[in-house]
Amino acid sequence: MSFALEVNNVSKRFEIPHLKINTLRGAFVNLFQKQSYEKFDALKDISFSVKKGEFFSIIGKNGSGKSTLLKIIAGIYTPDKGEVKVHCPLSPMLELGIGFNPELSGRDNVFVNGLVLGLSKKEISDKFKDIVAFAGLERFIDQRLKNYSSGMAARLAFSVMIHSDKDFLLIDEVLAVGDTEFQAKCTEYFIKAISEGKTIVFVSHGLDPVQQYSNRVMLLHKGEILEIGEPQKVIQTYLEKCN
Amino acid sequence: MRALYRKIKKYRELVWHLAKMDVKLRYQGSVLGYIWSVLSPLLLFSVLYFVFSNFFKMNQHHYALQLIVAIMMFGFFNEGTMAGMMSINAKANLITKINIPRWTIIISSTLNSVIIYLLNVVVIIGFFAFNKFLPSWQAVLIFIIFSILLYVFILTFSFIAAPLFVRFRDLSMIWAVMIQLLFYGTPVFYSLSAAPAAMQKIMLFSPLAFIIHFTKTSLVDNHYPVLFQTVLFFLISFVLLGISLLLYKHLNKRLVEHI
Repeated sequence: MSFALEVNNVSKRFEIPHLKINTLRGAFVNLFQKQSYEKFDALKDISFSVKKGEFFSIIGKNGSGKSTLLKIIAGIYTPDKGEVKVHCPLSPMLELGIGFNPELSGRDNVFVNGLVLGLSKKEISDKFKDIVAFAGLERFIDQRLKNYSSGMAARLAFSVMIHSDKDFLLIDEVLAVGDTEFQAKCTEYFIKAISEGKTIVFVSHGLDPVQQYSNRVMLLHKGEILEIGEPQKVIQTYLEKCN
Repeated sequence: MRALYRKIKKYRELVWHLAKMDVKLRYQGSVLGYIWSVLSPLLLFSVLYFVFSNFFKMNQHHYALQLIVAIMMFGFFNEGTMAGMMSINAKANLITKINIPRWTIIISSTLNSVIIYLLNVVVIIGFFAFNKFLPSWQAVLIFIIFSILLYVFILTFSFIAAPLFVRFRDLSMIWAVMIQLLFYGTPVFYSLSAAPAAMQKIMLFSPLAFIIHFTKTSLVDNHYPVLFQTVLFFLISFVLLGISLLLYKHLNKRLVEHI
């Protein structure tokens, strides 16, 4: 059995100073008095693995460490302890429109966003027509992004994102935004990605898609794994223990 | 090996594109646009030239040429270090949301000032042409090498200052004052020989003064730096860059949590 993702004994602690020090004077003053930190263990000794082609969901209340875990898998945060091994090309879908700048044209933003998501310039040029067509923005692509409605910007961002997808998707409730038409497009893409056998790690508050698509579900609570297993069973535990 | 090549190629495109977008954004909404990148140093030149050639009677050999070269080089250093220092903060919306190496952001921000400097070099060439002054090929070579070294110093500074600036926002204020001091402590509008002999030696320890002084004297007076000096200077620059990269690696840890 080959794994797409292995997470071994990952711990992450945030030390949040009680008063954020951003100035040298602040640092000097604090040389002489003991700095007080709010210690917050976001993740405690997390281990799990995801097989290739699996749909793996992570659920948990706010502050249970879901987003921190995703950011660690995506390589944005480094874990204090433990390690994360990603075995196939990863597309982090944590947010729409990374690098979008309202002052640039739609065209320029597609290139910035696509490059950041790991496409090459040539790949973007090749897919450019498709990206714009999927977003339905042919007439507006050379206008500045700030003149777009938020729905148009989201459509463009989503279009770039799905045109840059790799074998392993990391999804953080992107589906929560947009109108019903947009959501329908997302669901459509979702089902296509599953049928193509992509590996998906999905974080959500909404239990319906989790129950519907997941092979396995992991329940996080206060930075620890409470349960990993059958969607039905884990959701049951979640509803009982965490509410 | 192939994978590594592809990685470098991928980031090269990203760096270059981000730099181009920075240049584009910088002059967005201004009527004169790119012309400003040339116009603002030219305005500074006019003021300094007027003051120092009329009131202080600077009668150096080709004072205008020396002044324009020095202003452009100093401006390059000023712009580059400022942009480099602010780069990570300015692109926080990228770094906190996706895993791209931070050096790509530092380099792309400083490249912006390289592009502007290249435009300014065209102005310098124009000045020399207008004065019908042809510098020796050695001088031109020194100008090119020292321009590259100037960029090496900008990078050296930026790789340390950018992660530090995330933690201490005071740095931008401190550096703005330092730049002011450097402007007077560097032979931009005066010649190094105007300073007392003992002072001259100390001043040449400043890389910026070294670069600007010898570029000026090479171009206008065919007075070149000694080869030994230049080679030593070259080596020191790259050693400093190495140290800076090591510090950068250290400062880079847990950086995202501070933004």
